[in-house]
Amino acid sequence: MRISLKWMKTLLDIDMSIDELKDRLDLTGTAVETVITIGEALDGVVVGQIVAKESHPDADKLWVTTVDVGSDALLTIVCGAQNFETGDKVPVATVGSTLPNGMEIKKAKLRGVVSMGMNCSAAELGMGSDQSGLLILPPDAPVGVPFAEYKDLTDTVLELEITPNRPDCLSVVGMAREMAAVLGTTFEIPSGFPDETGEPIADSLRVDILDPELCSRYTARLIRNVKIGPSPDWLVERIVALGQRPVNNVVDITNYVMFELGQPLHAFDAATLGRDSEGVSHIIVRRAGAGERLTTLDGQDRPLDPGMLIIADPNGPVGLAGVMGGENTEVSEETVDIILEAASFDQVVTSHTSRSLALISEASMRFERGVDPMGCIAAQNRAAQLMAEYCGGLVAPGLVDVCPEPIQDRSLELRRSRVNRMLGTQLPAQDIETVLRALGLGVEVHDGDDSFSVDIPSFRPDLTREIDLIEEVLRVWGMDRVPSTLPGGRERIGGLDSGQRWRERIAATMRAAGLNETITYAFVDPGDLGRLSWELDDGELLVELLNPMSEEQAVLRRTLAPGLLRAVSYNQRRGVENVHLYELGRVFSTSEGRKLPRERDVVAGLLAGRWHAPTWHDPRSKDKGVDAALRGPQLNFFDGKGIVEILLEDLGISRWSTRSADVPWLQPGRAAEIVVRGQSVGWLGEVHPRVLEQFEAQAPVVMFELQLAALIKAAVAIRPSTDVPRFPAISFDVALVVDEAVTAESVEQSLSKAGGKLLESVRLFDVYRGAGIPEGKKSLAFALSYRAEDRTLTDEEVRPAHDRAIRKVSASLGAELRS
Amino acid sequence: MSTIDELNDMRTKALTEIAAAGDGASLETVRVAYLGKKGELTAILRGLGSLSAQERPIVGKTSNEVRQELEAALDGRRRDLEHVELEAKVSADAVDVTLPGRGRVPGREHLIEMITRQVVEVFIGLGYRIVEGPQVELDYYNFTALNHPPAHPARAATDTFYVRDLEAGDARTTGESDVLLRTHTSPVQVRVMENEEPPIYVLAPGKVFRRDIADPSHLPQFTQVEGLVVDEGITFGDLKGTLDYFCKEMFGHDRKTRFRPHFFPFTEPSAEVDVSCGICGGDGCRFCKYTGWLEILGCGMVDPNVFGYVDIDTERFSGFAFGMGVERIAALKYNIPDLRMLVEGDMRFLRQF
Repeated sequence: MRISLKWMKTLLDIDMSIDELKDRLDLTGTAVETVITIGEALDGVVVGQIVAKESHPDADKLWVTTVDVGSDALLTIVCGAQNFETGDKVPVATVGSTLPNGMEIKKAKLRGVVSMGMNCSAAELGMGSDQSGLLILPPDAPVGVPFAEYKDLTDTVLELEITPNRPDCLSVVGMAREMAAVLGTTFEIPSGFPDETGEPIADSLRVDILDPELCSRYTARLIRNVKIGPSPDWLVERIVALGQRPVNNVVDITNYVMFELGQPLHAFDAATLGRDSEGVSHIIVRRAGAGERLTTLDGQDRPLDPGMLIIADPNGPVGLAGVMGGENTEVSEETVDIILEAASFDQVVTSHTSRSLALISEASMRFERGVDPMGCIAAQNRAAQLMAEYCGGLVAPGLVDVCPEPIQDRSLELRRSRVNRMLGTQLPAQDIETVLRALGLGVEVHDGDDSFSVDIPSFRPDLTREIDLIEEVLRVWGMDRVPSTLPGGRERIGGLDSGQRWRERIAATMRAAGLNETITYAFVDPGDLGRLSWELDDGELLVELLNPMSEEQAVLRRTLAPGLLRAVSYNQRRGVENVHLYELGRVFSTSEGRKLPRERDVVAGLLAGRWHAPTWHDPRSKDKGVDAALRGPQLNFFDGKGIVEILLEDLGISRWSTRSADVPWLQPGRAAEIVVRGQSVGWLGEVHPRVLEQFEAQAPVVMFELQLAALIKAAVAIRPSTDVPRFPAISFDVALVVDEAVTAESVEQSLSKAGGKLLESVRLFDVYRGAGIPEGKKSLAFALSYRAEDRTLTDEEVRPAHDRAIRKVSASLGAELRS
Repeated sequence: MSTIDELNDMRTKALTEIAAAGDGASLETVRVAYLGKKGELTAILRGLGSLSAQERPIVGKTSNEVRQELEAALDGRRRDLEHVELEAKVSADAVDVTLPGRGRVPGREHLIEMITRQVVEVFIGLGYRIVEGPQVELDYYNFTALNHPPAHPARAATDTFYVRDLEAGDARTTGESDVLLRTHTSPVQVRVMENEEPPIYVLAPGKVFRRDIADPSHLPQFTQVEGLVVDEGITFGDLKGTLDYFCKEMFGHDRKTRFRPHFFPFTEPSAEVDVSCGICGGDGCRFCKYTGWLEILGCGMVDPNVFGYVDIDTERFSGFAFGMGVERIAALKYNIPDLRMLVEGDMRFLRQF
């Protein structure tokens, strides 16, 4: 909503700088979004006098004028207008100025004559639509004075953000009331009543409201014999300042009164309105019928639906109620009599009409937020008076006023104790009363200052409860004056719960392991699961968005994999080869019959490329060439597994294992399930090259995704201490040659089991294939460490048991001892 | 030559040789030559038995003296040589200390998670608990119980993501749905008040979704932190004090806050909170669009209608709520030129914070 300070100052005194005013409005709930200074755009346009006028030697319709603009030299200006004489005063745009339409005035040669500026029409100066010729100024216009200054065109326009609860502020008068209240001053309401003449309107117009719940009031006036023409300058200037294009005097007045009083008005050409069986013009307010159409004033032919409210005559629609009139009843040059509408249409239906047609007008914007039904009459009278004055109209006596439900007076109780208890203040009754009265509310004080009865005017539909009044008191009295305190609640305990603490710990471990946190979108491409060859469980469904931004974001993610793989691709395409990411995020799935989907949090990690760019520390290998040697090893399955190991160890989860698994999006043989206490908690592996191709990512990419809830459930917060060993351990190495199919884990478990009480640990330190090892076999080398709590073990004491254990394991696994 | 003279000559010779030994090995040769099993001094000691009873104690005593003297000299020389060797080794081990070090590089926290955590820490200090809610919500929690009128524009399918409702019934066939991606963290307020009795002091961080096209200043998915307090005697002053404290903790103790009345459906009175611009200190600059202030969050006293939905006695209890956009704070605090960088996963961006 725009307001012109020049216009505002005709209603109230504003004795402060723009900055002070802006602050005051900001701090009382009317945010000032921008401050526009009008008049600046006409810099360089001055009042000039035509001192000579000669035909252009080389063009029939052009004149070469000599113009005095108050400077030392006279200007030669070539001019195409025909409506002036020598001696006329006109606005002159000098070289270097820019007109409101964006035209830059330059020195120019027109058919061989150099022109040093431009004599302007009203339209060229943004002052209306008249471009028929130069704007001829009165003879007393002072030559050389800036045109904006001469015409008093300078103005400051404030663009205000009006919150949805304050429809009353969508008018000049409403804002004057608000400003008077917050500035502590008074304001005047412009009003008018027309002289009435001729036959009363009642004989010429019939109005029926068929849907009274959607139209609480419909008023009309009849103005005969209007002369359509341009509006007076002052009126054009005011509506232009508020962003409205001038059209003609009738339409401009309807817009002017809408801006002034907040009541949208519409003028019909009376002659074009259909009549009832008795020959009386007939307006019907009703829902649109299916299949009806209307060409609106903007020339668009629009389909209507029964959710829309329309103004109709017996022949069909003539306007979209509260949104825009129809072309069929538009006021034109030929119009003689007009019917002026001021009505109150329902907020929701106006919003529906406007939004479903994508047609937002100044009127619809106001009706959508609520227009005071009590304002119709004042707006009718004000507009009729202006039309009588500026369009030469004859206002028919009376008005049609159809108001199915009388508007009730309302009053609210306000307790002073409640105000202070809610705000944390100690306001005396006087302060509260002052604020309420300043806002135009009627106040009666009861109970020795402790409560008020407050009359609510119809223009404040937002005030329906005591709290609404408390807000008004706070807002106008001043939020900045409320002392800052902290709540003193007694029974409050803050902090993270155990799940939240584990979650933070998991994130911290991911970072300690070298992964960087990222965030990806929750909505993904429905084709992503296919790209992964991911199969949903029986009955499991993806969560589908009904109105996605695009087909690529049409379902909620079931796994973080697609988002992270896209991040890899994003990095690789930008030359970043080494990618180490994790995300703690939510995944979704649903099934038939469910309203809300299942939401689960997972932690996913991803590694691509190498751990780091080459450094001078990296070992060199002579046989692989300098480049390969300098780049270090590529990340693989075990880098991912290492992170999972660190994570599970940090969570205190000891009973877990890795199970080779068939995971469709992972490379066979490099894919595993992570099993905690017999339950799968997630997957780990190298992403299948075929999948990487789908996501335009380069191998190797290692990923894992684990269920957060399962991890947290298995996590052990308190691990009792165990004694640090006091006696040295004794260690034996053993290399076992086993079939390829025998897993390291199974050998390790067998050794652990067979090793006896003194066996402290079994550590795999080498896996070897090649010379000396038969095809299809591998050598696994373990270090077995034995320790007793109470003595230093000797070789002699341990060796026999160790040898027995090795023989037993070798026999059970078909392993051979490698010598 | 008497044995004593022999011993004295040997001592002189040996001490000279010890002093001349240039490294550990030659020192050892000297030791063996005199004190070894076949060494000169050892030979004399062995020959003691053949000496006369008169000579034996004198030669024996002198031999021991010589032996002790030589051992001491050997030890001293050995220490000297070790010292020299260590010096040489140390000097040979010198490195170019400007060469880069070697370390496992830890990962970084995402900027948004970092700021969220900072916000959480401030409010934990003020005695708040952290709560969460579903990201797929019902219209009831997201709008209705937050006092949004049925025709509120935020409900429009142009603004809010709707999710297919798979519960049996009309909704299934018409494709109409009251299931949506939450547009703010405020529904968590309602869920907490439904399930808990006051006093309530909670903070709800989380992801929210709106149908905005991703551009430098908008993302269709972003992060909010919601706060809710319900207790006896909670005032607007308490809201101001709480957020004053928060802004100072978050942005710096020299920053000022300003409360501007505003409108939200679920709070009344409502306000927007500005913090003074950190670039110009409030004088006005390009960063704050010459206002001196940066808008940080929205807040207000819990609307009585909201309490009505969750059966909280408005005469006994009052409360306040506030909400802030973490991406906005990130953009302001870290000067992020394009919010899309936050969801692209570019390592070069992620490793900056």
